[in-house]
Amino acid sequence: MDNRPTPGKITLNIILGLLIVAAFAISWRVTDVDFVKLAKNLPNGKDIILAFLTPDFFTHDKTTITIETPFPIPCGSAPEAEIPLSGPRLVPSIMCADPKVKFILEGFNMAPNSDVVVRWNMPDGRVLTAVQATTDAKGHFTSEVESRPIAAAVNGVAAKLAVETLTSIGNLKPSQAAHDVLAAMFVTFFMALLSTTFATIIAAPLSFLAASNVTKRGPVGTTIYYISRSVFNLLRSYDPLVMATIFGFWLSFGSFPGFLALTVVTIASLGKLFSEAVEGIDSGPLEALQATGANRFQVVVYGIIPQVVPNFISFIIYHWDINIRISTIIGFVGGGGIGYYLSQKINLLNYHQAGTAIWAIVIVVWAMDFLSSEVRKRLT
Amino acid sequence: MLKIENLTKVYPNGTVALKNVSFEVPDGEFLVVIGLSGSGKSTLLRCINRLIEPTEGKVYWDKTDITAASPTELLHIRQHIGMVFQQFNLVRRSSVMTNVLSGRLGYANPWLSLLNIWPEEEKRRAMQALERVGIPDKAYSRADTLSGGQQQRVGIARALMQEPKFILADEPVASLDPVLSHSILQYLEQLNKEGITVICSLHFLDLVHRYATRVVGLKDGLKVFEGTATEIDRAKFKEIYGEEAQEVRATTV
Repeated sequence: MDNRPTPGKITLNIILGLLIVAAFAISWRVTDVDFVKLAKNLPNGKDIILAFLTPDFFTHDKTTITIETPFPIPCGSAPEAEIPLSGPRLVPSIMCADPKVKFILEGFNMAPNSDVVVRWNMPDGRVLTAVQATTDAKGHFTSEVESRPIAAAVNGVAAKLAVETLTSIGNLKPSQAAHDVLAAMFVTFFMALLSTTFATIIAAPLSFLAASNVTKRGPVGTTIYYISRSVFNLLRSYDPLVMATIFGFWLSFGSFPGFLALTVVTIASLGKLFSEAVEGIDSGPLEALQATGANRFQVVVYGIIPQVVPNFISFIIYHWDINIRISTIIGFVGGGGIGYYLSQKINLLNYHQAGTAIWAIVIVVWAMDFLSSEVRKRLT
Repeated sequence: MLKIENLTKVYPNGTVALKNVSFEVPDGEFLVVIGLSGSGKSTLLRCINRLIEPTEGKVYWDKTDITAASPTELLHIRQHIGMVFQQFNLVRRSSVMTNVLSGRLGYANPWLSLLNIWPEEEKRRAMQALERVGIPDKAYSRADTLSGGQQQRVGIARALMQEPKFILADEPVASLDPVLSHSILQYLEQLNKEGITVICSLHFLDLVHRYATRVVGLKDGLKVFEGTATEIDRAKFKEIYGEEAQEVRATTV
């Protein structure tokens, strides 16, 4: 063949190039690509990404404690307070005051982002609300307080400025979110296991019918072959999400329709993989078995099954792994398990808890991937 | 006595593998089929036990017409015909024992055999077969851990399990080195002396001279020679293998 460029070929190449450019331009338009927006809205993205990256795994037990600091009115009527240097504490700007003097009161290490009430606890046991304040993210607040004449010291005992706050006690423990995620992941893990098992039980025998080297003999065999192949292809063309929606409408939402959707999708997918594994075997042993007078079932059991077992096991584990991931998506349409938990938390804007679920999925998927590659290594 | 009459095989793609081949194999013979690759040797052997359906022609075994047998009858006929292959055709991931026992499938209880349950008697028979081919110690090894020569011995042991009246051997030594070739063919020769008819395809003429009691030569699906090995002179050799052919010796043993 002559490969020298001719005017015709050059024109053709130019047209082809223009077509490619046009296709790219159209793709750009229909996708609404807007990188400026992507950069401008960076703070929004940062917040949600940070929330996802800081999952809510652990928590402390909380208890309400009262923080008090004596405040002599007037000065010299009672001993002044000694202010601790760390921990939850109230720090007035002056250590004592005559009546009707305004001063600044700061609180440190209170419960973050919460409303606090500062009170006067009088020596005789009466309580008087002094001021209300809101703490910041570090548990700090500042407010102005007036030394009230009614809070004067009595017999050398000063009234106390007091705040009630939540504080952590004891060791770290798993948070409620961690408990819920664990329970949901448990459901997902075993839902995926059960659907993979059911799918294997159905797909394994059917896959032999869809293998040309087993079935495609004579008019009856050929018909069975094409029918089973078509069924697998038909089922495979339905996305798991569509399947889950169908079963969701049928059975209302929950783990069971999710399980059914996964099972149907897995039957189709494993059936196809299995039948291709069967078609890929060495036909020599089958010929040898036929030559001994073995019947068709004996040929399958002695000649085909030993050859396909490693492939089958590896496909099954791989699909279990896939099903854990798919069930996350299925959860969004009500399929139960970790996906349902995740969708709920995202809808409620509880991104830290959603982050917990995402981390749990990452860990399980990673572990499954590791497991399946280890098992496959051992199967030869 | 095996009688082959006007055997013709045309593959669906139009390839004519056998054309009107006829010959007889009296009981007790070591018949060797020679010819180039693609001359129809493998097709001929497979038409005898109908692993390949002949297009035309008949195969008689004594009074039985193998070509007319129903599927069930065919299973009973195959039970008595051992077969040995160039690529050994063992199930590589199964144990040697299972491979040998599988030669007995035609005789076995169909249901128990599907569960891989075998009577003690059959296991003993399998061990005896392995002893005959000299590898009883490999019984519980996986087949693919054996060397080529050992695998072919398993292939022979599997054929022995059938208590065959005759053995079809399709290039049994073509994948083996020359020294091993003799050891495998000697097993077949031994079986032949015990009364089992052997039909064997071979490549190397010196092996043909050493083992064959009679020779059939095929070229392009046609029978071009029938006689004893000593009758293959230069002219006959050129006729079977073509003008370009040079004789190659398998061994000097």
